[in-house]
Amino acid sequence: MIGRSRDWLLAFTSGILLALMLNYNGLLAKHTMPIFASWAAHGLGAFAAFVLVVSCSRLLGPPSKEAQPPPKAPLWYYLGGVPGAFTVILAAIAVNSSLALSGTIALMLVGQVLFGIVSDHFGLFRTPKRRIVAADFLAALLVLAGSVLIIFGRA
Amino acid sequence: MALYIILALLNGVVVGTTRAINGQLSTVLGPFKASFWNHIVGFVFLTLMLFVLGGWKSGASGAPLYAYLGGFFGAFYVAMYSYVLPRLGGMKVALLVISGQMISAVLMDYHNQDVPPTAARFLGVVMVLFGMQMTRRARSPEMKAIHDD
Repeated sequence: MIGRSRDWLLAFTSGILLALMLNYNGLLAKHTMPIFASWAAHGLGAFAAFVLVVSCSRLLGPPSKEAQPPPKAPLWYYLGGVPGAFTVILAAIAVNSSLALSGTIALMLVGQVLFGIVSDHFGLFRTPKRRIVAADFLAALLVLAGSVLIIFGRA
Repeated sequence: MALYIILALLNGVVVGTTRAINGQLSTVLGPFKASFWNHIVGFVFLTLMLFVLGGWKSGASGAPLYAYLGGFFGAFYVAMYSYVLPRLGGMKVALLVISGQMISAVLMDYHNQDVPPTAARFLGVVMVLFGMQMTRRARSPEMKAIHDD
């Protein structure tokens, strides 16, 4: 149960980090353009992640001899960054339409949750299958409706 | 208009896809390496896009140095959700990331513009908090078959 709470908190914290990331990327995009800002953020993010990987392996020391070799990941496991980078382009198009920034963000959140439901149900991309229960729909409704109030209730 | 609505919804689907794939990579390589691959592959892809779309001339003139901090937050953001995604499932991760993002947005606006949140926003935060609590209630015993460790 403690492990679950930790996972839950980590997921929430990653949302805070996402908000900070978007805040700074937005600032950079104001001075340049969205694709350039995302390009710079990906480059610096790769550098930061590389430092994390190296410092972690230093801290933990070399892997023990008995450790089994890690299973091999299929090539497409490495390509998550492609759709990730593509979102910047899609968002830039939608924001410039009559949806504006608020409408685009709201619809993106709805799309994410719908994908999550379908993905859990079918186990898309080899993710673990998880049965969606009534409480899940209520949670989704509350989070999305609350988010819409936050997005459009700004002024 | 309908086209743009579909495009924005599709964007959310693409975000979910990225997370699912990075989550799977982290089960093999661990979260930090998954974050590294996500960023380096995205960087190469965007480099090509900038050549195709011709965005180089826009250069980063005049942007303050701290505007480049986004990438560092991004490295941790990707590592963190990649670690929990195979454990919580895509839907719960989506809801919790959105909750963190939305509540932070309210606090950041308050901090940056010194305008207290409106009643609508306050109600929104309360609803998000209740929704987060509901994700804890929605137990999922089927998940146990997944971890081979």
